[in-house]
Amino acid sequence: MTNWFDLTEEEERAVAAFMARVSALPTVSVASPDAMQLWWKAQLLRRWDAERRAQLPLDLMQPVEIAAGLAAAAFLLYLSLPRLF
Amino acid sequence: MDTLVAPRIQCTRPDAVARLDEAAFSAFYSKTSRALWAYVYRVTGNAADADDIVQEAFCRLLRVGLEAGEEEWRRYLYRIASNLVVDRWRHRKRQEGDERAKKFAAPPESGRGDDADVARTFATLTSRERALLWLAYVEEESHEEIAASLGLGRRSIKVLLFRARRRLRDLLKSQGLIARA
Repeated sequence: MTNWFDLTEEEERAVAAFMARVSALPTVSVASPDAMQLWWKAQLLRRWDAERRAQLPLDLMQPVEIAAGLAAAAFLLYLSLPRLF
Repeated sequence: MDTLVAPRIQCTRPDAVARLDEAAFSAFYSKTSRALWAYVYRVTGNAADADDIVQEAFCRLLRVGLEAGEEEWRRYLYRIASNLVVDRWRHRKRQEGDERAKKFAAPPESGRGDDADVARTFATLTSRERALLWLAYVEEESHEEIAASLGLGRRSIKVLLFRARRRLRDLLKSQGLIARA
């Protein structure tokens, strides 16, 4: 039975040899950053993530607080209207 | 110019579960960063993009704080990097249009000779095909490992990898590197 997922042996060898050449291609020098530099950057980002997560419920509640304050002020004004006039 | 031969990463403790602390990260980084850079560079064809993507991938890995073995960290890292490559390609495509985005994959080598021909031929493939072939042949990953690295299904990998190999075979045939049937 034909295995549709196989190339011929020669083709497979040629593909593998080509990929070996690709992996051995010369390339520009890699000036990779220091591991500790990345480590501290990630720690800082993690802290900001944590702060954002902690701040999120407060940020979400802020419009609700403002709306509740305005509603309370309107209600008090409504109650005090007969005394004002 | 520095010859970069992508090394196959040897994981000493594939099943060990560890916390990615400072010392573990330093050791893991020195083992994987060069190979990951080579992978991203060959997939994107751009050294600056490869620098950015590799840094971002390591940062994201650390931010997640995955408690696993080295092999899981490595797969997760490749998955992040592969996603970042696709994101960057899409972003560039949106901003600069199809034609400019195609240049994303253009080989940076302007030299002559065999190496430049090999780089140009490889760059003819799509970024997904390049990623699949690199992981299969250079990193010597199994279908399961490639699926984990690229975030795709194992069955899809088999088909996609076959198509990528067939496409590369056709390219090599068209250049006379394989005898035509």
